[in-house]
Amino acid sequence: MESNSVSDESPAISVRNVTKTFRRPKAAHGVNALDGVSFDIRANSFVSIVGPSGCGKTTLLRMLNGLIRPDSGDVLVDGAVPTPGPHMGFVFQSFRLMPWRTIRSNVAFTLEVHGVGAKECAEKADYYLNMVGLRRFAHSYPAELSGGMKQCAALARALIGQPRYLLMDEPLANLDAQTSEFMQIELMKIWRKHRGVVVLVTHSVDEAVLLSDQIILMNPRPGRVAEILDVKLPHPRWSYDARATPEFIAMRAYLWSRIKRMVASDPESEFYLRDEAIVGETAAIQG
Amino acid sequence: MATGNIQSGGILGGAAGQGGRTSRLQLGTLHAATFLLFLVVWWILSITVGHGFLPSPQDTAKAAVKMFGDGSLEAATLQSFFSLFCGFLLAVIVAIPVGMAMGGIAIVGAVLNPYVDALSSMPRIAFLPLIIVFLGLGYEAKIFMVFLGAVMPILINTYAGVRHSDGELIEMARSAGAGDADIFRKIVLPGALPHIMTGLRVGASLALINTVVAELYTAVSGLGGLLSIYGNSFRMAPYFVIVAILAGMGMLLMYGIRLIEKRVMRWRIERS
Ligand SMILES: Nc1ncnc2c1ncn2[C@@H]1O[C@H](COP(=O)(O)OP(=O)(O)OP(=O)(O)O)[C@@H](O)[C@H]1O
Ligand SMILES: [Mg+2]
Repeated sequence: MESNSVSDESPAISVRNVTKTFRRPKAAHGVNALDGVSFDIRANSFVSIVGPSGCGKTTLLRMLNGLIRPDSGDVLVDGAVPTPGPHMGFVFQSFRLMPWRTIRSNVAFTLEVHGVGAKECAEKADYYLNMVGLRRFAHSYPAELSGGMKQCAALARALIGQPRYLLMDEPLANLDAQTSEFMQIELMKIWRKHRGVVVLVTHSVDEAVLLSDQIILMNPRPGRVAEILDVKLPHPRWSYDARATPEFIAMRAYLWSRIKRMVASDPESEFYLRDEAIVGETAAIQG
Repeated sequence: MATGNIQSGGILGGAAGQGGRTSRLQLGTLHAATFLLFLVVWWILSITVGHGFLPSPQDTAKAAVKMFGDGSLEAATLQSFFSLFCGFLLAVIVAIPVGMAMGGIAIVGAVLNPYVDALSSMPRIAFLPLIIVFLGLGYEAKIFMVFLGAVMPILINTYAGVRHSDGELIEMARSAGAGDADIFRKIVLPGALPHIMTGLRVGASLALINTVVAELYTAVSGLGGLLSIYGNSFRMAPYFVIVAILAGMGMLLMYGIRLIEKRVMRWRIERS
């Protein structure tokens, strides 16, 4: 991730009043996935998007990647309409590995479609497989790997393009608690080393607070930005017990209570009014 | 027809049901035992029904030896194989690109689909008079009949395979910056391969059937021709030799396709 030509003042990513409605052929009403979403992301920052299921997090990431366009509003990356490519690494919610290719060949895919020769592809793929701890599985097929290993391979495939923007959609959600903690540290290290912008969608409030400079909290139906929070914990956060700091604990509790309230008051959520106590308690916290 | 089970072992594990895989030796023994059983049943049937209607295995074997001796069998087998091979190859050459085009380009699929539906449900034998008028009674007509039998299953399965390609993988490729050509070559086609192989398998068996049908109804030749000659004169032992050879050809064909399948879909096989 080379350094940005854009100055630190101007945002690396700028999202302005974005709306997106998905229409189904037969349905009368479309799904209003995003409604008037605005935020800025600074250069070289690590940003998490947090919010209940269905609040448009994935939709937003796909927009930042240039895979879909907003119905209205603007998404600008480096001041321009984003286009997909290796400079935008995308780690999907599902692994999306090609079952017919070996892990190495899956990882090399990003380079391969840009005309990089076979030898260089293999060398680079091995380098990034090494980074995510999968060197020994270069010749295995995806079906032979565990879920966590597959997600690491998908991460390597995104990193191999040396992206200046790394978009990750719940990359650690499918991992067990231990592996995901190790991967969190790994992610922090990779980011500290290569810099660039990381946008991480996550369900885990802990993960968001631990990793990010900024947290974008969203609420569902329609997807809107509820709040943007700065996390002021000093970097590098693996060098001390960040989870034990009062800032971490306070922020974690605050985010959690907001999300609980969102879910419990969402008529379309399966937890709607499930627990009056939650609604009452969170309302009390909110004041 | 669209989804085939690739692993020959089946999804429920070994024959003995202990959840493990049947070993090569076990399988060989089972094959030998079932074949022996088949011969015994055949032999008992031939005794009860009478040799005039059903030749015994020994009579059939004797007839086979004699027929191989005079060379007529080799010539007929070659003739049949020639029609089968050319017709099937032609079907593959036509069906796979057309199926891909139909699946890959929506408008092509929409336009051609009614014709595909109409043609695939029509008995091929209905075309025979037409074929004879245009192509005569020679090998051209036979090859075309074989082609007609095989082309539809291959086409339909290729079409289905391309259409049901994995949208998530396509999006992944797009996000990596892949162009349409790369997406088709590297995502859609490999994804369609299991379907295409199923099409080839179904197509091959229909090709063999149509080889015999064509030989029976056009200028009598090949194995189908011998079948009708021996059948009409009630020479049941040589008749059965032909039947056995046809069965063998079918097995060989399927074996060949399975070999191709193993090569191009190594990832599917190695999983189990
Ligand atoms: N391609 C699509 N077609 C129709 N509706 C869609 C499509 N993509 C998303 N939606 C709808 O838009 C809303 C937001 O979806 P999105 O996938 O962005 O949510 P999310 O925040 O990523 O949820 P989760 O946390 O469960 O992954 C949902 O209600 C979803 O049903
Ligand atoms: Mg999502």
